[in-house]
Amino acid sequence: MKKWHIVFDVDKCIGCYTCLLSCKDEHVGNNWLPYTDCQRKNDQKWIVMEKRDRGSYPRMDVAYRPKMCNHCAAAPCAANAPESVVKREDGVVLLNPARAKDKPELVNACPYGNISWNEEVGAAQKCTFCAHLLDDGWEEPRCVQSCPLKALRVVRLEDAEFKKLAKSKGLRAIIPEAAGPRVYYKNLQRFDKCFVAGEVAYYDHETETCAKNAEVRLFKDGNAVSKVRTNAFGDFRFEAVEPSSGKYTIEAELPGRGKASVSLQIDDSSVDIGTLYVK
Amino acid sequence: MNLNLNEIFDKVMFGGTMFALDKTLNLLAATFPEFKKELSKRDIRVQLKLRDNSFGRLLIFKKGNVKSKGGVFPDADITMQFENWDIARRLTFIIRDQMAFVNAAKTGSLVLEGKDEDSDWFSSLLLKVFAAPVIYGKVYGTKMPNGEMRYVNGSNGGAVFVYVKNGRIVRITPIDFDDKDAAPWTIEAKGKRFTPPKRTTVSPHTMACKSLVYSPDRILYPMKRVDFDPNGERNYENRGVSGYERISWEEAYDIVSKEIIRVRQTYGPGAVFHTSGSHHTWGNVGYYTSITRRFFNCIGATLDARNPDSWEGFAWGAVHHYGGSARNGGAEYYNTVEDCMQNSEMIVFWSADPESTSGVYGAAEGTVRRAWLKELGIDVVHIDPFFNCTAHFTGGRWIAPRPGSDTALAVAIAYVWIKEGLYDREYVATRTHGFDAWAKYVTGEDDGIPKTPEWQEKETGVPARVVTALAREWGSKRTYLAAGALHSFGGAGRQAYGTEWAGAMVCLIAMQGWGKPGVNFGCLQHGTPLDTHFYFPGYAEGGMSGDYIATGAGVNVYNRMPQSPSVNSNQQAIPRIRIPEAIMDRKTEAHIAGVYSQNSQFLTMKYPLPGHNPCKMYYKFGGSHIGTQPNSNRFVNMYRCDSLEFVVNQSIWMEGETRFSDVILPACTNFERWDIAETANCGGYIEKAYLQNNHRVIHIQHKCIEPLGESKPDFEIYSELANRLGLGQVLNEGNTDYDWVQRVYQASDMPKVMGWIEFLQKGYYVVPPLPGDRRDPVAYRWFHDAKKKDTPELTPLPSEYYGRYGEGLQTQTGLFEFESETLKRFAPDDDERPPIVKYIPSWEGYSSEARKHFPLQLISTHPRYSFHTMQDGKKGFMNEIAEHRLRIDGFDYWICRMNPKDAASRGLKALDIVELFNDRGSVLCGLEITERISEGVIHAHESCADYRPVGEPGKSADRNGCINILTPSKPLSKHAHGIAPNSCLVEVRKWDESRAGSKQAAAGKTGERQREAL
Repeated sequence: MKKWHIVFDVDKCIGCYTCLLSCKDEHVGNNWLPYTDCQRKNDQKWIVMEKRDRGSYPRMDVAYRPKMCNHCAAAPCAANAPESVVKREDGVVLLNPARAKDKPELVNACPYGNISWNEEVGAAQKCTFCAHLLDDGWEEPRCVQSCPLKALRVVRLEDAEFKKLAKSKGLRAIIPEAAGPRVYYKNLQRFDKCFVAGEVAYYDHETETCAKNAEVRLFKDGNAVSKVRTNAFGDFRFEAVEPSSGKYTIEAELPGRGKASVSLQIDDSSVDIGTLYVK
Repeated sequence: MNLNLNEIFDKVMFGGTMFALDKTLNLLAATFPEFKKELSKRDIRVQLKLRDNSFGRLLIFKKGNVKSKGGVFPDADITMQFENWDIARRLTFIIRDQMAFVNAAKTGSLVLEGKDEDSDWFSSLLLKVFAAPVIYGKVYGTKMPNGEMRYVNGSNGGAVFVYVKNGRIVRITPIDFDDKDAAPWTIEAKGKRFTPPKRTTVSPHTMACKSLVYSPDRILYPMKRVDFDPNGERNYENRGVSGYERISWEEAYDIVSKEIIRVRQTYGPGAVFHTSGSHHTWGNVGYYTSITRRFFNCIGATLDARNPDSWEGFAWGAVHHYGGSARNGGAEYYNTVEDCMQNSEMIVFWSADPESTSGVYGAAEGTVRRAWLKELGIDVVHIDPFFNCTAHFTGGRWIAPRPGSDTALAVAIAYVWIKEGLYDREYVATRTHGFDAWAKYVTGEDDGIPKTPEWQEKETGVPARVVTALAREWGSKRTYLAAGALHSFGGAGRQAYGTEWAGAMVCLIAMQGWGKPGVNFGCLQHGTPLDTHFYFPGYAEGGMSGDYIATGAGVNVYNRMPQSPSVNSNQQAIPRIRIPEAIMDRKTEAHIAGVYSQNSQFLTMKYPLPGHNPCKMYYKFGGSHIGTQPNSNRFVNMYRCDSLEFVVNQSIWMEGETRFSDVILPACTNFERWDIAETANCGGYIEKAYLQNNHRVIHIQHKCIEPLGESKPDFEIYSELANRLGLGQVLNEGNTDYDWVQRVYQASDMPKVMGWIEFLQKGYYVVPPLPGDRRDPVAYRWFHDAKKKDTPELTPLPSEYYGRYGEGLQTQTGLFEFESETLKRFAPDDDERPPIVKYIPSWEGYSSEARKHFPLQLISTHPRYSFHTMQDGKKGFMNEIAEHRLRIDGFDYWICRMNPKDAASRGLKALDIVELFNDRGSVLCGLEITERISEGVIHAHESCADYRPVGEPGKSADRNGCINILTPSKPLSKHAHGIAPNSCLVEVRKWDESRAGSKQAAAGKTGERQREAL
């Protein structure tokens, strides 16, 4: 049977939080028993938007990543608390509202922190994939329906087909694949990898000038791992560099003007080497 | 007696209608219990008759039943009198002949006598006969298979479906179009085809609407300040401090109507002052330029004269170089989306963040198009001290000049272009005037200072090489300039000498050949290829105001929607930027930017007018000013002085200024009343603003639920007050809000494409876009090509052309004026707004003396998530967005963003509660530490909704985040009287809770500059 999946594209997210707000709109003040009881208005989120700033002026970016129940095929919560978890044929994983009552320990049944405790109703809760709407004929859960650029979208495929798709499109999950997550991410490198950026300039007589179209190469252990060209401002950027991956060297060359190089260390954050003057 | 056939027809029809009326009413009462309830409201005798008493019929209403008998009786409670048979027949039988109705009322051919509330009840009852199947039969909306009803409504951020069950809103969603809705347009550009998706988008705040409808901060019944006694002690000094007690609507109406009469009879014209926020809940009938305007016209209120606060730099500066006064100095935008996509190679966003502001009302419609930028290969540059949301969405070079220095950067760009010949010499020679004068300033020929990239570096902090690189790119690529997120907004225009920045923006575009393919203003936000021929009024077009002079009604609404005229006979007004001074000092003056001509801003508006009294009563609509107006402790002080004898606030929520009133009238949201509108159509403010959308969506605003508690539609509140002032029929023409909604529909082109009942059921209509070969001409292409203006709008006015009509720009020369003839005439020696654009260092900026004490420059941009004050706070969903407010120790703090270096030097950490202060006041915020803001500058959005002082109002810190407490009330410059909140110096320190209780809760100098001269 086809299973519901969510695919999130980091590049298409503008950080509007409409997903969070529509989740609140659907679940706060409405109980959808037997699917789920109401969500709390404050201090409880079934979809958590994480934000990551990288770099600094003038070369930085901001990326978002929603975190929610992954509706895992091999759901750890089902293994940890089988009596409280319902695994549907369409892939959706639900907490049985009656059996999740008075069991705060269920919060720990999800190793990825996607089950939360609702004090008001005294039950453990999580994202339901808006299963009550899907069963009513909706084609998408609320977070997807309201997403302006469809950074969030649903994909309904057999497990094997989805795996093929994920592989061909470079989709990744943020929890171990072994759990069989059904939430995947595209362009995730913008969130969890580093960039190395900088600017190349030169002196035209006395005048500092941006080096347009300079060739910049990134070396690791003496091997060139990537090559880019600078834009009109002399800016360059290497994407998707592994965090904590150690020492690198950058070499820049602008034909007719000269060369320059610099060494750097990648720890857990992106690096802007500043201005590199070729001569 | 000579009877002709027409008279026989009239007699039969009218007589028959009258004979059948009681039976019809009883039948409707038997069918619809709610109609029966309405009928039971009054035991009353209604006489219908001809003026000469030759025909009469008496309706006797008793206990929800109606009987009638023929004849004329002297003891009726109300009398509806028709001039003759013809009028009687026309008005009763074809009651929807609005023109006949309005004419009859105007000429006295239709007279309704009796107590206002009775007359009003009876005339709206007659209209309910027609509306009953809809209102009581509930034939509107779509029934869903699960038993929910799906209605349509609108918001400041897009049209929505509203699902309702058991009288409660279940959910609010964007609209996915169905198969019958029109297919969207396609733009072919650079070998690709681009089509927007078939759905509406919404702004974040729209998705929070349900939580605001059911907010615990809703005002659910009328209230009176506990120590306010209209017949005794008023204790005005306790406004903002003492609490409120519940009163009945009767008592509230009684106090307010008697106070209106008392102050008017005691003090004469203009004694009642009224203002509202600039933005209201969505809908043409409920908008404040509609019934609110008519009500305050009827009582001759003093209104506020508004500065164009979103446009300041353009309205006071750019307008003098090229015109555009009808758009407050903003540029045309017709078909610029297609032109930009097909012909431009770069977009420079300068003080422009459409992802945060949605243009205005534009939801995420432009976002969909900006997502195409990469595919189109259009390069992007962002110039903004803050790494804004659009910058992180589109990528591109980020350039962060110091606040207040943007003009220096712009002038240096012109310098490079002049020196390197990177501009359109032919265009400058043939389509512009006075370039040499500006070029002399730019090159330093006139003052000995060449405005080189190196020169600007000292002012802006931006390396010279970056400016040179930008100038070369821009000078060699077809470039669109987004100066502000719509076509001419921008925070850089809301600061000291913002006139020069906006002027510089139009000068730069003129140098590149404004109107040439690929060279224009815009950022794919405005100017989609939609059908501009299909008429539907904008929400600020005057609605049912009848005011064809002071609103936009004169353009279309007044002649398409017959209604009795309305004029405010009182000409006294208060410049909005000086409201507190006007009230406290009882006098003020300022320049006002008019829209008909840029020349009108040279006049000075004085208050009070000769022979008029200063205002004594303030009827405030909503509570936004403390959040939105600069130096806003001024407003707190104003409310707590004795100049205002009575303050009434009509508001949906308890917030901001509402806490400073004597009587509070609870209004309901637009989800609880009828209205009608088009998404993002704020015609009346901005012509064809719907061109921000991917689709023209015209929609009904169903009354989705009953008003909460005892709250009421604004329409009803004004009608009830009008009844007590004898103005009932004058105000609403005996119509309910539902009737007026239908009249707006009839005034539009909608009846041609969709019947009323179908419209009520489906709820919306998508206007099909025109085919590719019928799209509007591109903005200013006509000017570039030296042709007659061909873009679809009525402005400039004929008298604004000094040469032949329709040829050239709205300037004296008809050319683009680098050297402005209007400014040369008005004040050629004004060193704060010279005839050519100059860079003038800010009066409160990087090089100011005050920076010794307050070393940080604060920029306060429009909020990303709320819509000004709307949807902020009030314990709604918006508080759950950690980028909107930060929850610290259980309180949701407004956010201040600071560079890590500035935080480190002050010993501050993320999530600290910090105090932002200067000598105007003090505001508490939660601290976010981020590289998105440069060193020496801090960022906080403006427009927090509520004001929660930690101690004495006006003299202590505000815990809730009204950033405008810190911003200057000083205008842009001595003759440019717009607001300049982005010229603001502050210091930041960790908040010490022990200061909360003391009078000196804020900085020692607090309050010194709460009074700033013009």
